[in-house]
Amino acid sequence: MAKVSFRNVWKKYGDMPAVKDLNIECPDGSFLSVLGPSGCGKSSTMRMVAGLEHITSGQILFDERPINGLAPKDRDVAMVFENYALYPHKSVYENMANPLKLRGQDASVIKERVTAAAKLLEINHLLERRPQELSGGQKQRVAIGRAIVREPNLFLFDEPIAHLDAKLRAHMRGEIKHLQRTLGTTMIYVTHDQLEAMSMADTIAVMHDGELQQLGTPREVYNHPVNAWVAGFVGEPAMNFVDVGVEDRAGRAHFIHQNFAVPVTEEQQRRLSDGSRGSALRMGVRPDALSISMTKPSDSCITGKIFVTELLGGDMIVDVDLDDCRIRVKTSTEFSGEEGQTCYMTVNTNKWHAFSKENGKAFF
Amino acid sequence: MASREVIQYETPLSRAFRWFSAVFLAFYVVWTVLPLFIMFMSSFKDLLEAFKLPAVGDWAGVTVFFEFTPTTKHYYELFARLGFTTYLFNSLVAAGGSAVVSVILGSMCAYSLSRIDFKGKGDLFFWIISTRMAPVVAVMVPLYWIFRQLDLVGTLPGLILAYTTFNLPFAIWILKGFFDNVPYAIEEAQMIDGATRFQALRAILPLVAPGIGAFVVLCILFAWNDYLFAAIIGSGGAKTLPAATRELVQPQNIQWGQIMAAGVVTTLPMMFLGLVIRKYLVTGLTMGAVKE
Repeated sequence: MAKVSFRNVWKKYGDMPAVKDLNIECPDGSFLSVLGPSGCGKSSTMRMVAGLEHITSGQILFDERPINGLAPKDRDVAMVFENYALYPHKSVYENMANPLKLRGQDASVIKERVTAAAKLLEINHLLERRPQELSGGQKQRVAIGRAIVREPNLFLFDEPIAHLDAKLRAHMRGEIKHLQRTLGTTMIYVTHDQLEAMSMADTIAVMHDGELQQLGTPREVYNHPVNAWVAGFVGEPAMNFVDVGVEDRAGRAHFIHQNFAVPVTEEQQRRLSDGSRGSALRMGVRPDALSISMTKPSDSCITGKIFVTELLGGDMIVDVDLDDCRIRVKTSTEFSGEEGQTCYMTVNTNKWHAFSKENGKAFF
Repeated sequence: MASREVIQYETPLSRAFRWFSAVFLAFYVVWTVLPLFIMFMSSFKDLLEAFKLPAVGDWAGVTVFFEFTPTTKHYYELFARLGFTTYLFNSLVAAGGSAVVSVILGSMCAYSLSRIDFKGKGDLFFWIISTRMAPVVAVMVPLYWIFRQLDLVGTLPGLILAYTTFNLPFAIWILKGFFDNVPYAIEEAQMIDGATRFQALRAILPLVAPGIGAFVVLCILFAWNDYLFAAIIGSGGAKTLPAATRELVQPQNIQWGQIMAAGVVTTLPMMFLGLVIRKYLVTGLTMGAVKE
C-alpha cells in the first residue's frame, strides 16, 4: 500500500499536451477517482502511473519515492484494463496465477491465493474455463481477480465496468467499493461516468482538456463545483444554465431574466461584490433545486411553458421552455401539468450557483 | 451471436450449376491425381512393364496397367548406389534450416514493425516486400557472384542463406499481420503482472502460433520444391532431391524408373507434412485467427 503523489506532471505527445501540470495527493488506502470525458488526459495519467507511458516532466511518487524511471514490473501496481486484456489461450486459473508465477511464488502459495481470490469474487466454479467461454461480467471479475491475487502498492482500474450492461454496472459499483474497503489498498479509478465516481470514490479529480479542474470529495464536487464546466459535467440530469443580468433592487442583488427576477442571499451578495456587479453572469441550478407548480406561488418565481414531461418511475423530469432556453426540473410523479401549459418554478436559492461568463469560474 | 448460415434456394440455374461442378470436380480430381498415381505405380515397375500401354480405344486393355511384378529395385538403386540418402538429408536440412532461421528472424522483425512506431516505417516495410518483387532468375547471377566470393557455393549453409533471403520478407509480411491482430493490452497486462518486455513478447507467441505454423510450412515447401537455387547455389556439395533427380536425365539414357521413384521420395514427406498440419494451415491463412 502506498501514498501516491503527482508533482507538476506533464504528458506531451509531440507538441500536444495531454496532461498539464497535474498535482494530486492521494493518501494511503484511499479511493481516488479520475473523472473526465474522453480525451481529457485521464487515461494518460493512469498509464503514467502504471509505467506504460513515459512521464514527460514532473514526478510521480509512491510514498515519497519517485517512480519515473521504474519499469512496470518494479512499480508493483495491479491494473484492470478497460477491455480486460485477459490471456485468451490461458484458463481462468492460469490468468489469475500469472502475476504470482512471474514473481516466482511457490505453486502451493499460488493455489491458495488464486482460490481465495476466486472465492471472494464468486468465480471459483469457472477456474478451468477459457476467457472466450465467459460473459462480460465474468471476464471483468477474472480481470479484477488477476489484480487482487497479490498485494500490490496500488490498484489501477481503467474504466473496468464501462462495457457491462446497466444493471450489472450498478451491481459492480457496490462490489468494487466494498472490495477496496475490505483490502484497504490505495485505488486509482479512471472513469468517464460521473455516477461511478460519485458513488464510489473518497476523492474525485475532475479533468478536462488535460487540466485538473477540481479535486475534492464527491459532496464538494457536487455541491460546490469550482467552475461551470465541472458543474455541468457532474450530476444527472445535468445542471441548468441560464444567462442572467445582475441588478440591485432595494439594496439586494437580483438575477434578472426575461422570465424572472430573483434575489440572492446575503452571503451570496458578498461573494458577488468582488467585481462582478453589473456584468453578465451564468446562473446554474440543478433540476432538484427547483420546485414546479401550476399556480403562481410568489412574485420571485420563474415562469415558463411545459415542453414535455418524462416519467422515470419514482421521479418525473419536466422540460420547461423559457423565452431563450430550456431547463429541466425534477419533481414528484404527482405533478399534473401537461405539455403547452404555463407553469411556475421556485428556486432554492441556497442551492443555486453563479458562474462568470468569461472564464466560467464560480462565485458561489 | 448472429447465425452465420449461408442460405440458398433451389433454382434451375443452381441445379444446373451443381451438376456442372460435379462433372468439373471429377475431371479435376483425375487431372491432379492420375499423374501421381502413375508415378507411384511406375516406380514399382520394370522399365518394359512401365511402357506397356493398351491400343487406342481398347478400354478393356486398361488392365495391363495393373499387370506387373512389383519390384523395389529403383528405390534400391537410388539409395544404395546413387547416394539419395545424402540428397534427402540435404533437402531436409536446407528446408528445415531456412524455415527455422526465417521464423526466428522474421517474427522478431515483424513484432518490431507491428509494435514500434518510427520514422520511415512504411517505407521500410515496403522495401522489405519489394525484395520479393524481382523474379528469382533476375537476381540469380549477382547472388551467385556474391556467394562465390564468400565461398558459400555448394555448401548447405549457403543454400540455407539463399532460401532465407527469399523467405524472410515473406515471413515478415505474414507474421506482421498476425502480431497486428494481438491487442497490445495483453502485453501491457503481462508487464503490469511483472513480466519484462521480452517475457511479454514470449507470452503472446502462442497467439501467433497459427501464423508461425502456416509460415513454416510455406517456407519448407518453397525450399523443398526449389530447383533453381538447388542447381546453381547448391550444386556439387549440397545437392538436394530435385537437383539430383534432374541428373537422372542423361543424354543417352533417361532413367524413368529411378525418376519415378525419386519423385515418390520427394513427394511423400510433403504430403505427410500437409496432412499433419492441415488444420493449422487453414486457420493460419485465414488471418485474423485471434479474436479479442
